[in-house]
Amino acid sequence: MEKILDKQRLDDWIAVLTDWDAFAPAVEDDVWAFRPVAGAVRLDHPNTKQPPKGFAFPQREVFFTFEQIKGEAPRLTQKLPQGKRRVAFGVRPCDGRGTVRMDRVFADHVDDPYYQTRRNNMAYVGLACNKPVSSNCFCLSVGGSPVGSDGLDVLMTDLGERYFVAAVTETGKALMTVAGDLLKKPEVADRQRLKDLHAEAVAQPQRAIHDADGAPAKLKASFKSPLWEELAQACIGCGICTFLCPTCHCFDINDEVTGAAPLKGSRVRTWDNCQFPDFTMHTSGHNPRPSVGARLRQRVCHKFQYFFENFGMHQCTGCGRCISDCPVGIDIVHVVNKVTEHAG
Amino acid sequence: MIDVQSIRDAARDLLTRGEVRAVIGYRRGSRGMLAEPVTITDPEQADELVWDATCFHNLALYLVEDRKALAHAQRTPTLPIAIIAKGCDARAIVVLMQEHYFKRDEVYIIGVSCEGGGVLVEYKLARLLNGAQALSAVFDGDELVVTTAAGEVRLPASEVMADRCLECREPFPKEHNVAFGEDKTGRQLAAPFTALGRFEALSAVDRWAFWRRQFERCIRCFACRSVCPMCYCDECVVDSITFPVAPDTTAEEKANRIRWIERSAVRSENITYHMTRAMHLAGRCIDCGECERVCPVNIPLRLLNNKMELEARERFGYEPGASIGGPSLVASFRDDDPGQFIR
Amino acid sequence: MSEEQAYEPKIVAFLCKWCSSAGSDLAGVSRIQYPANATPITVPCSGSISPLYILSAFNKGADGVLLSGCHIGDCHYIEGNYLARRKIYLIKELLEMVGVEPDRLRMSWVSAAEGAKYAQVVKDFVADLKPLGPQDKLKADRT
Repeated sequence: MEKILDKQRLDDWIAVLTDWDAFAPAVEDDVWAFRPVAGAVRLDHPNTKQPPKGFAFPQREVFFTFEQIKGEAPRLTQKLPQGKRRVAFGVRPCDGRGTVRMDRVFADHVDDPYYQTRRNNMAYVGLACNKPVSSNCFCLSVGGSPVGSDGLDVLMTDLGERYFVAAVTETGKALMTVAGDLLKKPEVADRQRLKDLHAEAVAQPQRAIHDADGAPAKLKASFKSPLWEELAQACIGCGICTFLCPTCHCFDINDEVTGAAPLKGSRVRTWDNCQFPDFTMHTSGHNPRPSVGARLRQRVCHKFQYFFENFGMHQCTGCGRCISDCPVGIDIVHVVNKVTEHAG
Repeated sequence: MIDVQSIRDAARDLLTRGEVRAVIGYRRGSRGMLAEPVTITDPEQADELVWDATCFHNLALYLVEDRKALAHAQRTPTLPIAIIAKGCDARAIVVLMQEHYFKRDEVYIIGVSCEGGGVLVEYKLARLLNGAQALSAVFDGDELVVTTAAGEVRLPASEVMADRCLECREPFPKEHNVAFGEDKTGRQLAAPFTALGRFEALSAVDRWAFWRRQFERCIRCFACRSVCPMCYCDECVVDSITFPVAPDTTAEEKANRIRWIERSAVRSENITYHMTRAMHLAGRCIDCGECERVCPVNIPLRLLNNKMELEARERFGYEPGASIGGPSLVASFRDDDPGQFIR
Repeated sequence: MSEEQAYEPKIVAFLCKWCSSAGSDLAGVSRIQYPANATPITVPCSGSISPLYILSAFNKGADGVLLSGCHIGDCHYIEGNYLARRKIYLIKELLEMVGVEPDRLRMSWVSAAEGAKYAQVVKDFVADLKPLGPQDKLKADRT
C-alpha cells in the first residue's frame, strides 16, 4: 500500500488513530525524545537522543511483586505490561533496524513475555533520511540504508510539501487504512520524486566502516591486540554509548524491597552496561574485564563479531549516537577500521 | 594567543630529557575537528598535541586514573607525570593534592591560559555557522577564529563559549611548573554565578517543577560521575558492589545489604544520587563544568555544584582549589558559622 | 475527622548517642507527653550524620527529618557538632534550592538533661509539618 499525505494532514491522521497512543519526537530542554503526541507534530527532528528501543525494552521493567509472611510461602503477582497499542512516528531507518536486532535477542531463542507484550503492542512509522541527520551517520557501511524499511511498519518519505507513505507490514496497512481519505493515491510524478530522493539519499556522503563483512573474522583474530588498550585509553567508563544505543540490550535484575514485615517488594529489570567497571565484577573481587581496553573490546566485538556469530547480522546499525555523545571521542567507526586494518 | 608549537616543544623536551614518564594532553580526534585526551610517552608523539577551543576535557581525571593503575599494579614510579592544565584543571589538581591523592612533586603541570577564551559549545557554534562544517576553532583575543570549507570566520568569543568559561574567575592555572599564555585573571565576561542567580530567582514551586523534569530525564549513565576528577572513590554508594564481602559473609547478609539507591532510573533514585553527589563535591568542585557538558540529556548539573560553591564562599569564606595546604570545607569549621537554623 | 487531622507526619530522628538520645530517654522516663511521630535512630555523633542518611530517609518515605546533637561546646568528640552544623547547613540549602520545603529538615541541640526540650522540639516539628502534607518529592514510588 503506497499513498500520499499532505504534510498539514499528518496531525489529522494521528487524530483518527483513536485505538492507539501516538508518540513522536519532541524537544524539551534541547533534548529530542519520543513523547506522547500533544499538539502539532513536525517531523523535522534530527535523530532522537535515545532510540525508540525503550518502547519494547524500557530502562525499568517490574516483573512481579512479592510478599512473604514469615513461615508462609512467598506470594508472587506477575506484572505484565498493559495498555493501549502504541505507535511511534518519525522513527529513523537505523532505529528500525535496531528493532530487528532487539527482536532476535528477546524473541528468537527465548520467550521474554515482557518484551514480547510490549513489542506486539507497538508500531513504528519510519521517516526516511533524505540527508544524514548527523555527521556521524554510517548506516550504509553496516548494510543499512537511510531509506530502508527493516523493522518499520510504515515508511514515510518527505517529498517537500507531502509525505510518500508506504506500508511495510500488515500493521502498517491497518494504520493507513484507518486514515481513509486522508491518504491519497500517488501520482506518477510522486513516485518519480520518491525514486530521485531515495537515490540522492543513498548517495549522500557518510562516514564508513571499511570492511564490515570481514569484521567478524578479523576481530576474532585480534582478541589479544594491544590496540584495544590504546584505542580505549581515554575511556572514562560511563554508560552513554550503550544507553543511547538502539541495540544494546544487557540488563540487570534486582529485588527492590519496600517492606520488612511482611517482606515486600518488586523484582525489577533495569538496563545494565558493559562499560561500567563493575559490570563483570565477581563477588570475590575478581574482575575478568579489568581494563578499559577489555571493556571497549567487549562492546565492539559484541556488535561486530559475537552477534554476527549468533544471528548472522551485525548488531550495529550505524546511527552514530555512541560517537556523537562520547565525552572523550571514542569512535566506533575509527575503532573497527583500525583494528580490522591492523588484522590485515 | 598560545602557539601550539611551544606546548609541543615543552612536552617533547620533558620526555626527551627523561624528566617525566608521560604527558597527558590533547590530540585531534577522528570525529571532525574535536580534540580528545591522549597520554603520550614517546617524544615523537609530541607533535600530535593540539591546543584549541575544543580542549574541553579536565585532564586531571587522568591523573586519578594513573594513580589507580599504579596502585593496582603496586608500582611506585620514580618520575612525575606531566599534564596540560587549564585554569580549572589546575584547581582540580590542587584539590587532589590537598586531599593527598598525590604529592606536588609527582606531577608536572604544563599550564595553559585560556586568556580571553575558554572552550566552545558545539551547539552554539553550529547555530552561528548555519549548517557550515567547522574544520578548526581557536580563540584569538575576544574572538573565535573558525575555519570552514568556505574560509575563515571570526565570531565573538562570548557567543560560542561555554557558560562555565564565561563565568570563570580564574582562566589562568595559578599552580604550574611552566605556563603558556597571558594571565587574564580578573577578566569579566559574565558575572560569576550568573546562571545560578537566574535560577534562584524562581519561586520554590517553579524550582521544583524544573528539577523534577531534569531528574525524571536522567538515564543514570553516570557520565557526570565518570568524568569528574573528584569522583575518585573506589566504591560509590550507588554501585551494587558497595558491600565489603569477607570469606564469612553469608548469602543472607549479601542479600540484605544496604542499598541506598536502587538501580532504577526513576526520579526518586536519580535525585538521591545527584544530591548525594553534589554534597560530596561541596568544597571540592572547582567548576570545570564537565559534568554538565557530558550529560547526554542536558541536565544543568553546574547549578547544584555552583550552589555549594557559592555558599562555601559566602558563608564559610572557602574557595575550592585555592591552596594545597589547609583543611577541606566540611572537615573544618569556624565559631561563627551560621547556626540560626538550629533550634 | 477531616483529612488534615487524619494526617500524621512520619519523622525520622537522628539523635546523637551522648546527648539527644539520652534527652529523648529522659522525656520518656519523665512521662512527658509528646507526639509519637518520630522514629529515633541513635548515631554516635551529630557529626556522623551523612547527608545520605537524610536523603535516604526522605527517599524511604519520611515527611520530616530531625537531627539532634549536643550543644555547641559540649560534643563528646569535641568538634563533631561544629562539623555537623556546617554540613547540615549545606544540605538544607541544597534541598531548598531544588524546591523541597526547608521546614522538612530540622536541627536542634538537645542535651541529656533536656527531656522537656526534646518533647517540645518534636511537638513543634509535628505542628510545622502537618500543614505541609505528605512529602512526595523525594519519596520512592516503587510500583
